[in-house]
Amino acid sequence: MARFRFFGGKGGVGKTTVSSAYGLKCANAGLETLVVSTDPAHSTSDVFDQQFSDEPEPVEAYDNLHAMEIDPEEEVQDHLQDLRRQLGEQLSPAMVNEVSLQLEMAHQTPGAYEAALFDRFIEVMKQSDPYDRVVFDTSPTGGTLRLLALPEYLEQWIDRLLHKREKSIDYYEKAAIGKQQARRMKEGDPILQRLQERKERFAYAGETLREQATFTFVLNPDELSMRETTRAIGGLEDTELTVDGLVVNKLTPEPDDDEQGRGGTFLRDRVETERERLADIRSDFSVPVVAEIETRVREVKGSLLEDVASEIGIDPTEEIAVGD
Amino acid sequence: MTLAERIDEFLDTLKLWARGLYHGMLTHPAYETLEKEAEDLEDAFMLACFPDAFGIPSPVSYYTAEFLPYLADEFEAWQRRMWDRDSLIERKGQQYHF
Repeated sequence: MARFRFFGGKGGVGKTTVSSAYGLKCANAGLETLVVSTDPAHSTSDVFDQQFSDEPEPVEAYDNLHAMEIDPEEEVQDHLQDLRRQLGEQLSPAMVNEVSLQLEMAHQTPGAYEAALFDRFIEVMKQSDPYDRVVFDTSPTGGTLRLLALPEYLEQWIDRLLHKREKSIDYYEKAAIGKQQARRMKEGDPILQRLQERKERFAYAGETLREQATFTFVLNPDELSMRETTRAIGGLEDTELTVDGLVVNKLTPEPDDDEQGRGGTFLRDRVETERERLADIRSDFSVPVVAEIETRVREVKGSLLEDVASEIGIDPTEEIAVGD
Repeated sequence: MTLAERIDEFLDTLKLWARGLYHGMLTHPAYETLEKEAEDLEDAFMLACFPDAFGIPSPVSYYTAEFLPYLADEFEAWQRRMWDRDSLIERKGQQYHF
């Protein structure tokens, strides 16, 4: 069984870099690793200089490392197309209009992206047997995290729907007099079947996320990012999910002592401020800082990625003891 | 026609009437009430599945949209029903056949 690690954080803090680097770290430790990106901008492809699709593919430059990119927009469209096709098969064209309106609406609601992503995450988790570690680079919206935290809530919702449906079918069956056929039958009711499937999926997700997943937040040493992280951690506090570390990314490198020019002073001031922030992060957050990563001059890829990987203080092999 | 035959005929008619009255006044209304209740429950189910059809956003509408292929004809009827339902009293009062 694989262990799952989710990297979360505000947009632009470097989640993709940190997830890729952590994935590489796992792979270097000899663990079969899959990096799952949900970024529609395909930044994982940029990090490894290789085009990935929504199916896992081996990363050419490294052993044991695989990657996939999920495009939420595409997932939503696929889901919509799939349902449209089903509708077309079972209905007369005249009927489709009113219903397809509802269908379209359901795929344009603000939660549709998150729902589609969550669905896909569950699928990835279910098919994670070939891997020892799966690293998720979650999309910047807080919604994904909320959904991950709330499978029980969704499960309860489905439960209520299930109950309503069962009861009405029960009444229909009782109301069928003599040889009359009941208008609905419990046996083979497609709605009940679908609801049951959904329920099981959410139950699986809830259990897996509680027992086999760990969350790590990436943040930058600035106030906005710190506040956002406080909120995100607060949101997960009431759930049974494990948050085990903070990765502080994009720290300013310290200049040498003899650099007294404008650049040197600027950097020194900046390092000073960031040091204060870092102290705040250490004292204010209940979660330990597991990595401090300096800003790089170039995009982090190739050997730079290896460097960053070695700066992440999470030991991927240690997790075996926790999970298995 | 003998007396016995006439009595039998009378009894048959009586039985028919009795059965008719029993069915019309007791069983049928009972089953009708049951069926109405089932319909109401189903309407509630539909509303819980597709509240956005009436402007109430739902966090699970992405998932419940999966039922639409199976509920398509019911969906239309349900929406019409919801639009012109007069009142709960009117709906519940139907069983008394005034």
